[in-house]
Amino acid sequence: MSSLIVKGSPLRRWGPWIAVFVVAVGVLSIATFGTLSAPTAQDRVSTISNSVKCPVCSGESVAASNAPASQEIRRQIAEQVQQGQTDEEIRSFYAAKYGQGILLTPSASGVNALVWILPIVAFAIGIAALAIVFRRWSTMPAERATDEDRELVASALRAEADDSDIDNDPHGEGASR
Amino acid sequence: MNLALGRAGVTLGLAAAVLGVITVGYGLIRKRPDLVRLSRWYAALVFFGGFVAACAMESALITRDFTVKYVAENGSTKTPALYNFATMWGALEGSIILWALILGGYLVAVVLKFRKRLADPLVGWAVLTMLVVCVFFFGLMAGPANPFTGFSPPAGFDGPGPNPLLQNNLLMAFHPPMLYLGYVGFTVPFAFAIAALITGRVGEGWLLATRRWTLIAWGFLTVGIILGSWWSYEVLGWGGYWAWDPVENASLLPWLTGTAYLHSVLVQERRGMLRVWNISLLCATFALTILGTWITRSGVLESVHAFTTSSIGIALISFFALIVFSTVGLIGWRGDRLRSPGRIDSPLSREGAFLANNVLFAAFAFVILLGTLFPLAVEALNNDRVSVGVPYFNRMTMPIGLTLLFLMAIAPVLPWRKASAELLRHRLIWPAWIGVGSMVFSVVVGARGFIPVLAFGLGGFAAGSAGRQIALATRRQGWRGFVGRANGGMVVHLGVIIIAMAFAASSSYVRQAEFTLTPGQSAEFAGHTLVYEGQNRKQESAKIVDQVLIRIDGTGPWAPSLNKFANGNQTIGTPSVRSTFKDDVALSVIDIRDGENGSVTIRVTVQPLIIWLWIGGGVMAFGTLLAVFPGRRRNPLDAVSAPLAMESPKEPTGVTP
Repeated sequence: MSSLIVKGSPLRRWGPWIAVFVVAVGVLSIATFGTLSAPTAQDRVSTISNSVKCPVCSGESVAASNAPASQEIRRQIAEQVQQGQTDEEIRSFYAAKYGQGILLTPSASGVNALVWILPIVAFAIGIAALAIVFRRWSTMPAERATDEDRELVASALRAEADDSDIDNDPHGEGASR
Repeated sequence: MNLALGRAGVTLGLAAAVLGVITVGYGLIRKRPDLVRLSRWYAALVFFGGFVAACAMESALITRDFTVKYVAENGSTKTPALYNFATMWGALEGSIILWALILGGYLVAVVLKFRKRLADPLVGWAVLTMLVVCVFFFGLMAGPANPFTGFSPPAGFDGPGPNPLLQNNLLMAFHPPMLYLGYVGFTVPFAFAIAALITGRVGEGWLLATRRWTLIAWGFLTVGIILGSWWSYEVLGWGGYWAWDPVENASLLPWLTGTAYLHSVLVQERRGMLRVWNISLLCATFALTILGTWITRSGVLESVHAFTTSSIGIALISFFALIVFSTVGLIGWRGDRLRSPGRIDSPLSREGAFLANNVLFAAFAFVILLGTLFPLAVEALNNDRVSVGVPYFNRMTMPIGLTLLFLMAIAPVLPWRKASAELLRHRLIWPAWIGVGSMVFSVVVGARGFIPVLAFGLGGFAAGSAGRQIALATRRQGWRGFVGRANGGMVVHLGVIIIAMAFAASSSYVRQAEFTLTPGQSAEFAGHTLVYEGQNRKQESAKIVDQVLIRIDGTGPWAPSLNKFANGNQTIGTPSVRSTFKDDVALSVIDIRDGENGSVTIRVTVQPLIIWLWIGGGVMAFGTLLAVFPGRRRNPLDAVSAPLAMESPKEPTGVTP
C-alpha cells in the first residue's frame, strides 16, 4: 500500500470525493431546512418541563419526576403554553418563584458563566498544548539508529539468548508476560 | 451468629491486609524474596475474609436475622428471594462488602496469574499497592461503614425491605456487581502503574502485564453502565435512560478516562512515548472510581453542609487525596526516567489520531466533572443554589460526541507515523459513501434536523471504517480476523456507533404526552393508537399491584402499574414498554382516580431506536471479549519501532512466549 500508484488528473482522483461532498451538503440542507413540523403544545410542555427542576426531589427534572409538586408544575406549564407565553417567559417565571436553582440550565451570567466558559478554555488549552508539542516534534531532528546502535542491540540479544535470568533486565521491562 | 461471623470476616480481612502490607513491604525494602512470596497467603486470607463477610451478610438476609442492623433496615420477610439476595448491594454498608469481596477476588487472581513472578519487585509492589487498597476498604467496614452493627429487634419485628425501586426489576441483581467488577478491576492496572513508578521500571513491561486486566475491567464497567441505564429506563418510568445525574456521571467518568487510556496506551506500546500521560490517565481512572464513590455515597450532593455528618465521606475523600498526591509525587520523582526519546512525525497518523482522541475524552470527562461538582463549588463559595442538568450536559457533550464519531471514521485507516492525502482518499471513499448513504436513508425515512442527520452520517462513516478493517482482517485470516485486540476493538467501535445513533435518534425525536382516559376510550399519539381496556388488581407478598391494561396498535394488553408497598406507604410506578426495532412505546401510570368510573392518567413516551442501545451494549461486550482473547500478533518484546529493513532477518532468540 506504501507505493500507491498516483495516476489521472486531480479531478479524476478526487471526483468521487466531490460527489460525496455535494450529496452530503444536499442531504444536510434538506434535513436542516426541509419541512419540519412545528413543535406542538405538548412537545413544548415536555421541552420546558425537562429544563425545570422538581422542587422537592433531588436532581430530577419536573418531566422525570412523578411527585405531586412536579405533576402540578407540569399542569401549570401546559396552561402557560396555552396562554401563549414563550418558553423563556415560563422559565423565568419559575426562576423568580423558586430561585435560579430551579432551572437545570445554569444562566450565563456571574459565577455561573464559568460552567460554560471553563470547558471551552480547557479544550482550547488542550488543543494549544497539542499544537505546541507537534511543533516541537517537527523541529526536532529525527533520531536515526547508527550501525553502532544496531550492533549494540544485536549483542544484547545474543547475551539474552545465553542467559534468560529474569534479574538480567537492564531496561526494566520485566520478563515476558 | 451471623453478626459474629461477619465481624470475624472483616477482622480477618483487615488483619491479613495490614500484616500483608507490613510483611511484603519489609520484604521488598530489605530484599527478602521469601517474605515477598508470602503475599499469596495474605491475598488468600484477605479474599477469605471478604468471602466470609459476604456469606454472613447473605445468610443474615436470607434467614431475616434482624439482630444485624443492616438487615433490620433493608430486609423484610416479605421481599422475594432474588431481591432479598440483591439487598446486599442495595445500601451503602452492604455495597462495601461487595466491593471488598471483588477486590479480594482480583487480588487472588493477580497472585495466581503472576505466581511465578511473586518475588519480582514489580509484581511485589503491585500486590503491596492492592493490599493497601484492601486495608482501606476493610477499614471502612471495620469503622465508618460497618455493615455488622448489632440491633435488638422487638418481638414481631419486620424490616421495611429494600428501597421499592430496588425490588422492581431483575437487572438490580446484575447491574451493581457488573459495575463493581469494572470499578474495582481498575485497581489492578493502577497497582502495576504505582509499582512501575516505585521500582523505576517504567518501560513497557508493566503495560503488557496489565493490558488484558485493563480491558476486562473496562468491559465490565461498560456492561455495568449500560445495564444501569436499562434499569433506569425499565424502572423509573419517565421514558428516559440517561439523566446525567451524579450517580450516572460518577460511573461515566472512569469509563471516559479508561477509554482514553486504552487508546493512548497503544502509542506507548508501539512507540514508547506518552509514558507520563498514560500513567496519569490510569491513576486518574482509579482515583475517579474513588471520587465517584465519594460523590454518590457521602450525601455531599444534597448539600455541602451535610458533609461533616458523614464520616465515610471524609474517609473516601482523604483516600482520594492520598491517591492523587502519591501519584503526582511518584511521577515527579521518576520524571527523568519517564521522559521518552521518540517523537510523533505527523498529526495525520495513527498516533496523532490517538492524541486527538485523548484531548476529546479528557474534555468530555472535564465537562462531566465540572457539571457534576459545579453546584457544590458555587454553594461552598457564596451559598447560592444552582442546578446543572440535562440540557447543559447535552449541549456541551454533543459537539465532543460528533467529533469523536468523525475521529472514529478516520483513525482506524490511518497508518502509524505518517499518512498521505492520497492514502486517505483511497481508503476512506467507501466509508464516506456509507456515511452519505445513511444520511440519505435517514432523510428518506423522515429524519430532519441538522445535528441528528449529521450524526447519522458520521455514524455511517465510522461504521464503514470499522467494517473495512474487519473485512480486510477476515479476508486475510478467515474467522481469526475477528479475534484479537485490533479487530475486537473495531467490533467495539461498531457497538459504540450503534449506541451513538440510538442516542441521537431517541433524544432528538422523543415525543411525550399525558392522557386521561376512561375505560374503552382510545388515544392517538405519534402514529400509535392506545386503547384503555380496564384495570386489574394483583396481591403480592410485598405489594399491591394496580395494573392499567392498554392495547398499543392492537397488541397487548400492556400493563403499566402502580405498586403500593405494604411497608412505608410508598407508591411506586412500574412502566410497561413495547419495544420494536423501530421504536419504543413506554407507558407509565401517573394517577388512578378511584370512584371516577375508573379513569386513569397515563404518560406515553415514544422514542425511536431505543432497543439498539441495548443491542449496541451487547456488541461492545462481545467486541471486548474478542479483544481479550489473544489474536495472532507480534511478540511484544520485538522491537516494533525498528526500521522496516531491520525487521526481517533473525528470529528473536531467547524469548519464549
